[in-house]
Amino acid sequence: MSTTEISREMKKSSHVQISRGMKTVLSATVVLFIASHFIAPSSTSKGAVLGMLPFAAVLAIIGLGQTLVVQQGGIDLSVAGSVSLAVVFVTRLPLEHNDRLWRAVVVAVFAAIVAGIINGILISLIGINAIVATLGMSSLQYAVIMAISQGSPRQTTQLLLHIMSNLTFGIPRAVYYAIATTIVVTVLLKMGVGGRRFEAVGANPRAGRAIGLKVKQTQISAYVLAQLLYCLGGIVLAGILAQPTAYQGDSLVLPSVTIVVLGGTSLLGGRGFPAATAVAALFLQQLNQMVLALSVPFGVRTLVTATALLVGIALYTIKWNVVRDKFSELTGKKKSSTLANA
Amino acid sequence: MSNSPLVLANISKAFSGVPALRDVSLEVFAGEVHALLGENGAGKSTLMNVASGTLIQDLGTITVDGVQIEKLNPILATGLGIAFVHQHPAVLPDLTVAENILISVPKEFLKTHGSVNDSMRAILDDFGFTADLKERVGTLTVAQKHLLELAKAFAVNPKVLILDEPTAPLGQESVDILFDRVRKITEKGTAVIYITHRMAEVRILAKRVTVLRDGKWRGTSLVSDISDQDLLTMIVGRELHSTFPAKHDLIDADKEFLHVENLTSEEFYDISLTARRGEIVGIAGVVGNGQSQLLRALAGLGGYQGSVKIGENVLSQRELLKQTAYMPADRHGEGLMMTLSVRENAAVSALKKFRSGLLIGRNKETKIVMDSLNSIAVKAPSMDAAVSSLSGGNQQKVVMTRALLSEPVMIIADEPTQGVDVGARAEIYQILRDITKQGIPVIVASSDAKELEGLCDRVYVMSRGHIVDTLEGADISEERMVKAAVASTTLKKGSHTETKTVVRGGAFRRFFQGDFIPPIILSVIMLAFGAYVYGKNSRYISAFNINSILLLVTALGFIAVGQTIVLMVGGMDLSVGPMAGLLLIISSFFVNDGSKLGSIVLAFFLMAIFATTGGALNGALIRYGKFTAVAATLTSYIGIQGLSYLLRETPGGNINQIVSAHITTSWGAIPVAFIILVAISVFLEYYVRSSKWGMRLRAVGSDEESARRLGVPINKTVIAAYVASALFAGLGAVMLMAQLGIGDPAQGTSYTLQSITAVVLGGTSLLGGRGSFIGTLFGSMLLIQVLNSTTFLGLSQTWQYLFQGLLVSAAAVLYTTTRSSKRRK
Repeated sequence: MSTTEISREMKKSSHVQISRGMKTVLSATVVLFIASHFIAPSSTSKGAVLGMLPFAAVLAIIGLGQTLVVQQGGIDLSVAGSVSLAVVFVTRLPLEHNDRLWRAVVVAVFAAIVAGIINGILISLIGINAIVATLGMSSLQYAVIMAISQGSPRQTTQLLLHIMSNLTFGIPRAVYYAIATTIVVTVLLKMGVGGRRFEAVGANPRAGRAIGLKVKQTQISAYVLAQLLYCLGGIVLAGILAQPTAYQGDSLVLPSVTIVVLGGTSLLGGRGFPAATAVAALFLQQLNQMVLALSVPFGVRTLVTATALLVGIALYTIKWNVVRDKFSELTGKKKSSTLANA
Repeated sequence: MSNSPLVLANISKAFSGVPALRDVSLEVFAGEVHALLGENGAGKSTLMNVASGTLIQDLGTITVDGVQIEKLNPILATGLGIAFVHQHPAVLPDLTVAENILISVPKEFLKTHGSVNDSMRAILDDFGFTADLKERVGTLTVAQKHLLELAKAFAVNPKVLILDEPTAPLGQESVDILFDRVRKITEKGTAVIYITHRMAEVRILAKRVTVLRDGKWRGTSLVSDISDQDLLTMIVGRELHSTFPAKHDLIDADKEFLHVENLTSEEFYDISLTARRGEIVGIAGVVGNGQSQLLRALAGLGGYQGSVKIGENVLSQRELLKQTAYMPADRHGEGLMMTLSVRENAAVSALKKFRSGLLIGRNKETKIVMDSLNSIAVKAPSMDAAVSSLSGGNQQKVVMTRALLSEPVMIIADEPTQGVDVGARAEIYQILRDITKQGIPVIVASSDAKELEGLCDRVYVMSRGHIVDTLEGADISEERMVKAAVASTTLKKGSHTETKTVVRGGAFRRFFQGDFIPPIILSVIMLAFGAYVYGKNSRYISAFNINSILLLVTALGFIAVGQTIVLMVGGMDLSVGPMAGLLLIISSFFVNDGSKLGSIVLAFFLMAIFATTGGALNGALIRYGKFTAVAATLTSYIGIQGLSYLLRETPGGNINQIVSAHITTSWGAIPVAFIILVAISVFLEYYVRSSKWGMRLRAVGSDEESARRLGVPINKTVIAAYVASALFAGLGAVMLMAQLGIGDPAQGTSYTLQSITAVVLGGTSLLGGRGSFIGTLFGSMLLIQVLNSTTFLGLSQTWQYLFQGLLVSAAAVLYTTTRSSKRRK
């Protein structure tokens, strides 16, 4: 073979890569904790952090699911119904009997798979808008929730409380589960054959089709896996609250999308950054904690979240070099015109 | 001067440093057909885009009717009487035939035959266009869309008419009509610039001819003064600075290895090819004559009849998809995952090879992929670099690495050197040659005849989907290929009937796919459901209940109407709910018992200001910040909610009772506000179908690119839609003032999802371009009716959720599947 000139060999691939999203969100989190320490010291006390971590863990697990959907170019608003449903299953079915917990978990997982398949078929095969389909799904899930619980809360089982809330090495167990889940999702996505194909289809479904990948099945699998993660998130949530309500998932929909965006996964689809999403969950939860400790009104807290989301999207969407060029062009012109005036 | 309506002088134009036109001049005279000839990429379309203001030239001048134009743009060009029929029609699929005409043809040209409708019909009949005026353009065939474009352009009696390969999609009958109309319009004094590849058409129609080659002017002549051979000489002979690998030495023992027999689809007919081991097969022809579709079929990406045999195996479409390697012409759109790394792109079709245990062995992968990348000298800063950062040639080599790693039975390359620099070209040719030496057949389609001449051992020339010539050995020359293509007189098969047949079903089908079927379905459901509930509980139909239902409908209806406007431009507004909530809070500070009139007026004024600002911010984030609609309005959803809580942490500020009473004024059981909602819905329904602004709204949602070409101001239209949506949320807030009677920051947000549900029930497409305000009105009514009925039926909340979930899912499935023929993207 007459490869005319084997120019210099290409640089080796490095084993560990840190995405831009991860760098951004990690440094933001560090800055946030330092800032919290000075501005609102009570939010970085041991008690406050230990209280915040389990909720960050739940949000992280749910965010991982949302990441999978978003990287396939979708969005999943059924987080509300799914999480609430899982919570209701594992509290209502056992009715505080520890020995009935496992059966309840099996039911919850089964329900999650069914919901995921329906979402996937509606969106990927029939072509229904993701917002509409998952919105409908959330309603249906709430119908089941109401049928089981009539909307009233129920004590969680002692067993689940132990599994999720006990401390191991001084840290709530839920945190370990979140870290483990993040590692599993990341490894499968980045190092599994299926995961790599999943990323390829998300990055460009047309190219995926052209090389013979199963695009529709991949997209459906995203919704199923997401539901499983919401289900896990719901179960963990049920274990860190003594008496979870039937509407526990409602307040998690917008944060789940927010952290996906903050982690650098584009709402247009493409590469997913699960680990960055998980860190973003910690960031968002601590941000809330800090603002809460400052005892500012709820409105300000919400505005802070909105600002975080706005900055997050702007950071990744706006082509800053173009803006910079335009700006320097403008200022350049200004300079020349002032010169002309002078 | 007056008989030269258009003079282009010394035009030069470069794209990112690559010259496309160099010092080209063209003068056309009134009443003549001026043919523009040249190979693919000779600069014909670029020159015409300059002439029509779509592109701005770097150097040179444009003179229209003796007046030099500084900066031409499409709108100005249209005003000056320059009409351009593009090769790909700029039609709006969701608009009807009539609307497509109305949006671009000024009214004064639609008075020729009495009423506007009759005039439009006459314009279309003149081109043998038979489809109904009310037909949605998305359902037309390509040929019909083209006739529509032609008819529109001819109707405005332009001074200069540019036709870019107008006969390509047409059958014989339509071609005859077109030629006749071209002659007639030139008799009236119009200058026609006719871009073509076909000598025969030049001879039939044109008076003069200009030839371009490599972006340079080659000559202009009277058609009668020049022979076909001379014209051909002017067209071909492009310089190509590239070296080609030696061709295959034919050995007697070589048997034919690849057999493609009688391959037929909608875009190509009865294609048979063969190749021996070691040969590179070329597919030549003018771009868009079925070559790409043929290649896609061979790659298993498109349906076909006929058979493909490699060696001893006949391969099915599924097997072709899995076992062949396809290098698409659209490298960015279909070839590469642009956001992924070089390594990931190269490895993706051979991942199983790298597996060690359950996971991919990183070292194994890196080694194999690196070896392969280096074997064809891909130059990249590292394997982890994003593939988008590479040059065109190296990107193509990444595609080739992927192909090689997948160990294909055949490689299919569509325009493999497009956008590739000269050096990399030679390397790509060498790689293709090396591949065939391994016994893998390679099929290359290229619009560059010179390239095929240098590279291929066998070339098939396609024209309008047929093979018109087969060249082997010494016969393979650019001249022979161009000659076969320009001398061809074949026409697209089947297009003759395509232009004639009225789309099946006619009025009946149109009605069922139309915007008015959802309201009918919804009213049947509402009546049946209402009767059922009444049967269970007679208090259901009481003046009080009807009045309260309708008040709820009115609040939701206003917000949903706003949502419909946004959906029509292809967007979505998630912030309508919180916006209604915020405006309610604002009113709760000024419209209290004992408030002065001035304070009440101020409240409504402030509400309007806040709504307008919020809507404009949404629109600006989307258009200027390039946020997706969901991202932008989700951000404002949270932000607006925050603002509400900031203004009022807990419910407070009772709304003035007199104002409330005014808002809920009713005639009998019917609230006046509801009547206003109905009136607005009916008005808007009519308005978006008849007014220019309404058609623009739908044009943007239907096809942004076509809308831009038709001169629709996209940014303005989209931002206006979001402002309108926020203002309608304001009307919803007015209803909430009366219904809730207090400023409650927790209220409002639920209206976002409810409004989307109502709109979906009403049959508005979430893809944009079409929708119905009356449908939305009925959707709001059904939704509220269902939610309200559960109390009368003594049903639990379970049923509320169940009904809501089932309704929205069922409606979405129903409408999506019945319209699925509409778009396949």
